Parts: sequence; C-alpha cells; structure tokens
Amino acid sequence: MTEPFFQVDGLNTWFFTRQGMVKSVRDISFDLTRGEVLGIVGESGSGKSVTGMSIMGQIDEPGRIVSGSITLNGEELTTLDFEEMRRYRGRRIAMIFQNPLMTLNPLMRVRDQMYEAIGAHEDGSRRKMHDRCIEALKAVGIPSPEERFNAYPHEMSGGMRQRVVIAIALLLGPDLIIADEPTTALDVTIQAQIIYQIRRQIDERGLGMIWITHDLSTLSELADRIMVMYAGAMMEIGTTQEIIGSARHPYTRKLLDSVPSRNTPGEKLKQIPGNMPSLLALGKGCPFASRCERATEICGEPVPATQLSGTHRIWCYHPFED
Amino acid sequence: MNEMIFEAKGLSRSFTVGGSPIREFANHFLRDRQPTVLRAVDNVSLTLREGETLGVVGESGCGKSTLARMIAGILPASSGERCFRGEAYDSFLARKRDALKIQMVFQDPLSSLNPRLRVGEIVGEAAVLHRLVPRSKAKDYVVDILARVGLPADSINRYPHQFSGGQRQRVGIARALAVKPHMLICDEAVAALDVSVQAQIINLLMDIKRDSGLAMIFISHDLGVIRHLCDRVAVMYLGRIVELAETKQLFASPTHPYTRMLLDGMPKISLQRRRFMPIQGEIPSPLHPPLGCHFHPRCQIATEHCSRVRPELRQIAPGHVHACLNIECRSALGEM
Amino acid sequence: MSRAGLKDFIGRFAESRSAVVSLAVSITFVACAIFAPLLAPTDPYDLTQLQLSDALKPTGSKRMLPGEEIRANMWVEGGSASVEPVSPAKTRLAFLTEPCAPNCLSVIVRPEDVRLASLQIRNLPAGVTVEGAKKHPIQPWWTVDTPQGSKVRLISSAPLPASFTFLAIAKSMEQETDFIFRLGTDGFGRDMLSAILYGIRISVFVGLVAAGVAMVFGTGLGLLSAWRGGVTDAIIMRAVDFMLGLPALLVGLAILAVLGNGVSKVVLAIVIVQWSYYARTARSFALSELGKEYVEAAQCLRLSPTRIMLRHVLPNCMPQIIVLFTLNIAAAISLESSLSFLGVGLPLTRPSLGMLIASGYEFIFSHKYWISIYPGVVLLVMIVAMNLLGDRLRDLNNPRLDR
Repeated sequence: MTEPFFQVDGLNTWFFTRQGMVKSVRDISFDLTRGEVLGIVGESGSGKSVTGMSIMGQIDEPGRIVSGSITLNGEELTTLDFEEMRRYRGRRIAMIFQNPLMTLNPLMRVRDQMYEAIGAHEDGSRRKMHDRCIEALKAVGIPSPEERFNAYPHEMSGGMRQRVVIAIALLLGPDLIIADEPTTALDVTIQAQIIYQIRRQIDERGLGMIWITHDLSTLSELADRIMVMYAGAMMEIGTTQEIIGSARHPYTRKLLDSVPSRNTPGEKLKQIPGNMPSLLALGKGCPFASRCERATEICGEPVPATQLSGTHRIWCYHPFED
Repeated sequence: MNEMIFEAKGLSRSFTVGGSPIREFANHFLRDRQPTVLRAVDNVSLTLREGETLGVVGESGCGKSTLARMIAGILPASSGERCFRGEAYDSFLARKRDALKIQMVFQDPLSSLNPRLRVGEIVGEAAVLHRLVPRSKAKDYVVDILARVGLPADSINRYPHQFSGGQRQRVGIARALAVKPHMLICDEAVAALDVSVQAQIINLLMDIKRDSGLAMIFISHDLGVIRHLCDRVAVMYLGRIVELAETKQLFASPTHPYTRMLLDGMPKISLQRRRFMPIQGEIPSPLHPPLGCHFHPRCQIATEHCSRVRPELRQIAPGHVHACLNIECRSALGEM
Repeated sequence: MSRAGLKDFIGRFAESRSAVVSLAVSITFVACAIFAPLLAPTDPYDLTQLQLSDALKPTGSKRMLPGEEIRANMWVEGGSASVEPVSPAKTRLAFLTEPCAPNCLSVIVRPEDVRLASLQIRNLPAGVTVEGAKKHPIQPWWTVDTPQGSKVRLISSAPLPASFTFLAIAKSMEQETDFIFRLGTDGFGRDMLSAILYGIRISVFVGLVAAGVAMVFGTGLGLLSAWRGGVTDAIIMRAVDFMLGLPALLVGLAILAVLGNGVSKVVLAIVIVQWSYYARTARSFALSELGKEYVEAAQCLRLSPTRIMLRHVLPNCMPQIIVLFTLNIAAAISLESSLSFLGVGLPLTRPSLGMLIASGYEFIFSHKYWISIYPGVVLLVMIVAMNLLGDRLRDLNNPRLDR
C-alpha cells in the first residue's frame, strides 16, 4: 500500500452562533492514498459537509477551524492565508457540490467557464486549452463534447451539468477531489453512469477522492473505504468490506439495517428510535448513546478509538462482536 | 376480491408552455407558431382497491407528481375519467366533506407546512371547519391524532420550524389523518428524509395502513421504498405507464426494458462491484418526447418499428401489463 | 412568530446600528405626531393668536406683547376717584388715582412696570394742568410722552375742585414676554417649532393613512390577481404597469387639480399613486407561496379559496408587504410634501411640512432662512430614517443576505 498523500488530524470545526457554540466537527482524523475513494457517510447534521468545507478552507463566519491539521503532500493547509488557499483550490483540491448550478455560472458558456478555470491557474495557448477541455469532457462521458462545449448550462440536463462540473474539477489535474452529495439530485440511471465514469477517472489518474453522502448504497459500489459520522464525531472507519460486510459499531449496523432493500418487503423496517441530539447540547461521551440499545453508563465518558485491524477503527465501548 | 376505491381511465394532463392570452391571440395570425404543449401525463389508466397500496415509480419528469395531484383532485385533468367508488370526480369533489376522503402527504416536510400556523391549527383546521369535530373538542382530537403519529401532546403549540424533518413529516401525515381519509396519496413522502428517519416514517405509514385499512398510492423514485411498501407497482416513463404488475412479480421478472434498466441502476448495498458500463443516454426532455415508444432511443432491443408506433399496454401475465412492442411474453426475455 | 423567533429577529435587526438609530428617530417622529398638541408651545391653527409684529422673527427671539390703548372716564369726588370700566374691558392695563397733596392728584397706570408710549389726560377743569405734559394747542388735552413710572400728576394752583371728571388715555409700548420662538417665526408670526410639530403630525397622519389604505387596497388586488390568474390577472397587472409608468408627482398633481385640496383628497391621490406597488409585490409573493406544497395541502383539505388566500397565503406575504409599507410611508410623506409645496396639497390653515417649506421659499433670499430650512431638515431626517428602517427590514427578509 502506498503512503497517504493527504491527512486530516484532530480536526475541530465549531460555529459560534448566537444560540451557542455548535461543535459541528469534533476530532476527525483520516488519511487518503492516491487512487482511493473515501466515502464519508452520515445523516444531515452529522458534520460530513462541514468536514469537506473545512478541507476546502471555506468555513465562513461565525465558524472557525478550532484545532487540527490538514496536510496535502506534506504541506499544512490550515495555516494558509486566503490568497494561498485560493491557489490551492481548483489546482490541487477541487470540489463538486450537489447542485451543479452552485459551480456553474448560468450566464457563461461551458467553454468560457472551462477557459476561466484554467486561466486562473496557468497560462497556455487557446488551442492547447481547447484540446484539454474537450478531453476532460470526453473523460466524464459527455456525448458530442464539441457541441456541449459551446452550450450554456441551462441548455443541459441536470446529469449533463454535473458531468461538466466534474470535467472542470478534473481539468487542472488536482490531487484531491471532494464531492458533496454529487449524485443525490440525479435519477438512478444517470447516477449509475456518473459513478461509473468517476471510478474510471480515479483509477486512471490516481487521484484521491472524498465522497460525502447520506446514501450507503452508492458508497458500497464506489468507495474503497468508508467513514461513518454521527453528530459531528467519527463512529467507525474501515474498508468498504469491513463497514458494509461486518460493521461493528451499533450506529453503523442500525443505519445499514434501516435501508429498505435490506429488509423483508412488507415487514416493519428496523428503525433507530428517537432523533439526533442537538449539537448545542452535547456531552463529552458518545453522541449516539441516547438512541443506542447497547449503551451503558460508561458511554457518557469520552470514547477512545479502538483499532480493530490495520484499516478498521471504531469509537465505541460496546461494539458488536464479529 | 376487494372493491375498487379509485379508478382512472385515460387520464391526461397537458400544460401549455410559453402560452399567454396575447400569445394565443397572435397565434391566430402565425398559424405555424403553436405554443409548446407539455404532456405531463399521457393517457394513464389505473385502479386502486380498498386497502391496497399502489406504487408509482419513475424518474424526474415522468409525470408522477402531476398524476398524484390529479388523483388528489387538486389539479383538473385535461382529459380522461376519474372515479372514486364508482362516482365521477366532478360530482364527488363538489361535496366538500366527501372530497376529504382523499388526502395527500407531500415531499418537502418544510414547505408543505404553513410556517405561520401552530401545529394544532395545521392539523385541526380542516376537521373543525368541515364540522368533523366540534370546536370545543378540537384540542383533544388533535392531541389524539398527534399521538397516533408519535408526536407529544405539547406539539400543538409549536411551529413547524421547531421540529426536525422527520417530525414535520409526521405533522404532515397527522394533518391528512385528521380528516379521516379513505385514500392517502404519498408524493415522495420519504425522499427528503435521512435513512434512519425514512425508516421511521415508512414504519409509521405501514402502521397506519394496518390499523385503518387505508388505500394508498405511494409515489417515489426509490425502488427500495416502493418494493417494501407496495402491493402493486406502476412504472412511468415520460408521462406514460410502461409496466404495471404485482410488486413481487415486477421485481422478480420485469419485462419492459425500461423497468429492467431502472432495476439495474438501483443502487444496492452489496460488496459486488459493478464493473460493466451502465446504459447510456439521457432522459429526453418531456417537452419533446421521442415519437413512438418514448423509450426507444435508450432501448437496446428497439427496432425501427418502435420509433413509429406507440405501444399500448398489453397483458402479458395475469395482473401484469406492459407497453413494449418487442416483448410478447415473459418467455421471450430469455432470448435477450 | 414565536417568542424565540422574535428575539432572534430583534437580535439580527440590532446588528445594524444605523437601523437602530433610524428606528429610534422614526419612533420619535411618531411620538411627536401623536403628542404634538401637548408638545407644541402654541397652537398654530389658532389664527387669533397670530400677530404680524411677530412675523419673520429669527431663532431665539421673544414674543412681543403689542402696544395697547385704554380710555377711562374718571370721576373725582373729595380727592378719591372712581374709574368707569375701562374699554376695552379685557385689557390688562388699569387706572388708579391717588391724592398726593390738597391740590394734587396722581393718575397711575397699572401694572406699574408697564412702559407707556404716552399718557393723555383730557377735559380737565380749568386751572388744572398736568405736570410735565404738553398741552394740545387748541383742545384741553395734555400729553406725556413716556411718563416716568407710568404715572402723571394733576396739579392745580388752587385746591382741586371737589368734584370733576376727566378722560385718561394710556398707550402702552410693545413689550417683550418670556415666550421664546425657539425656531423663529414664519411670515404670519407663527411659532415655527409649533408649526413643525403640527406639520409632522399632518405629514405622518397623511403618510400612514395613505400608505395603509393603499396597502389594503393594493394587496387585495394583488392577491386576487394571483389567485384568479388569466384575464383578471392580465387586467390588474396592466393597470399596475400603467400606474407605474406615470410619474407619481404628475399623477398627484393631476388628481388634486381636479379634486381641489384637502386632507382626504391628498390621501386619495397618494393611494391612487401607490396601490400598484402593493399589488405587484403581493401578487409576486402570493404566486411564489401558491406554488408551495402547503397550499396544495390546504386545497386537499378542501378549504375555500378565500380562506386559503387570507389565512394561509397572506400571512406568509405580510413580511414583504410590511417592508414595502415602511418604505411607502416615507414615499407618501414626501409626495404629500411635494404636493403641498406646489400648493395643491393641504389647505393653508393646516400647514404640513411641505407647505412650511413653500411658505419660507419667498423669504429665503432675504436671509430669512429658518422658515424653509428647519421644516426641510425635519422632513429629510424623517424620510431618511424611514427609508433606512425599511431597507433594514427588507434585508432581514431576504434569505440570501441572511447569514
């Protein structure tokens, strides 16, 4: 196994709102090797998107990265100033959002947006840029790329727009792509196509990807490793095999069990009772304890990580036995 | 066999895109410049029996939400017939208290609740106005309904934004139940929810169905949810039903190429990686659907015939209909 | 809105200091309007109190009491005199007599600190003269210009007759009072401070009523337009476009030229100008609310269209309409002032700020700046404050600007 090129260590991102301190991300640590897709899965409010935004350096007031380090190729990102971070974005790290219109300018042709993306970071002849763009569009499976190249975003379907966003992300040959729910708004047939294309690009180009989603089924088909988050904290991280095949954390198991396709049709689903606790009122212990049937008194204490295998780590006092 | 509670025959709904009175006036002179007509629902026929759950599945733009609103009686049909227990909708909807028997649960748990009203009023308003409950007993009645959907009694004084997504959806269900419906239409009722909350709501809907024997039409793009909840499933593509069968039958042996593609594309939690190339092609714009069979540009077994002839629904097994010109019966599937 | 929501709203509002200041200023103006009769030192509508001698006085000058003339017939009998009721009866001056010697009688004008312009004694019996007075060349009249201590002595070389009559006429000088015109006076001698306070009252009243009526009328039409759609919508919206295309001042002028002036007519003119803003805003927000699922839910619950529009849609459009209302009060006030300035607005007897500005206009080149400038500054501050307030409310309502 190759050395990890990207590391997040002890990341804490908190929001200092009027209502109080929201500890959206608490002590997140993980790393990533080239050619690997790490899936971050969690429900809304789990802090998975804030983790992605923290890596991109896009945490706005009243939020702040309180502690922790993020390193890419050995360089620390949390201490970069705005201008240096801007150079990093797009060039070394690219981000894909759920809504492609967050990235695409509705008033510009695809062509100009792609040229602009390249021009912001490097110089080059028009001819060369054109070839590179067409190549990027082809790589994400856009039919008749020359035609789409001159189109406006509104002339394309949602799936096509998301592909263009991915093509722009790939354009500058980044080391890392962060994708935040990129296929959630798309239809299943289109989703399957995009996942296929992305997996191929990752393998071919050997770049790292963080895929943030609430959907375990997409991850089971795409990710190499999966990290499970709940209420801002890590619950379990391991290879897809370890998480999907033999999850040890009660939350991960419950999450998997509540997916309809893993239940017998017509019978009641195995649901998780209760709601996620408010991020404003978290204790020091396991945030899932209040909904967990295995919880005991000790779950109110800070939970240490348990290394189950070389790749499988878990934060739980009462994990399931394998 | 159970009585029929709802029946639709040849139901269609078209919208005029870019049409206005002035434009229509101008069209008298510019005869070739007709406004574009969007056929959101095109000649759909289906039935629902008492106590049955019918799933309607399809991708975005297939017209399933328009169909839901026509069945709920809040959108008029351009053509076709709708009957509730044998009575045509025109006369049925005119009697407001009877019309309450059809209720709907919506997709977005936030925008489907009026943010300015307290939950007590959201749930109780219609029941009081239509004199299902006297005003003096309204509070107890609402508390009862809220308890049925698993919400505490003190919810009645709170506003929608003070609830989580799952709880809001419970309020939406309570609002529908408060007028004692016989038929419930759920339009993507669990699509906007997280997995664990989605499971809670699905279980709640199943409980309600078991307790009260409601007939349900469950509209979703999520085949997993449909498979779990529904007795029969209709698959829609660009405004038309392409296949309709018992759930077990449809998932075990889908016949229409589109259904098969949907099932293949359905993400599953499994450790087997798909390494094959998924079916290519975009969903065509509903404004300009392909002629003949709408699916033919993406279909692997399409022939030249498919681009000219519109396929009608045909029975290929008891209780199993589909609209494909090339597949005559289920045994033909083996040859593909 | 729930209590927590309200608290949060206030917190967000208070983030802008200019908004807090303008809210305070606006509240002050409304308070001025309500309590004007209590706050104003004089009643500017009471024309009997006006005196031309006070006209065009600069800031800080005192009100003058005008000079007065009284006449009284006096009977003197045995040294004591009785005074016939003075005319005019209401006067504050009075006569008194006092014997000073067997052949001397003092005639005193009360109160004693009054400075007299002259004191005249007429028709004295022969041999009696007035000390220090000039006799009329022909008539038996004695006149003292500026008598000392408002007092004259009648002296006779012989003892005074036992009884006689004479006529006394006293003229007082103009007199300063303690009343100060803090902001000067206008061309009619009106106290500008009082006039401005009453002007605020009129302007705020006209602004609130006109904007309020326009809001109710315009919002109603907007909702109707959104709900009915089709031909109704087309007719209402074309009317709106037509109204929006015409300059507000011109429409106001035209309407008042036909109707004549008066408070209710100005209100009507402003309503005709402003309803279209509300109609357009209400329609567009109602349309976006009508597209939401809770409206479909209400239809599914078979609620009547009126109930859906008034109970469900309208409350959700209200925040935007209230923002517009705040901005339109300011616009209504400035329109009313403009119309009054042009002389077609309110009647002269009920001066609004605009009319005060107009009435000072003719004096502005003779350095009588205060008549126009002070109402102008007040109007400016009021309109700026209300606009800032409206802008802040609009920002708070715009989710895109909300952090």
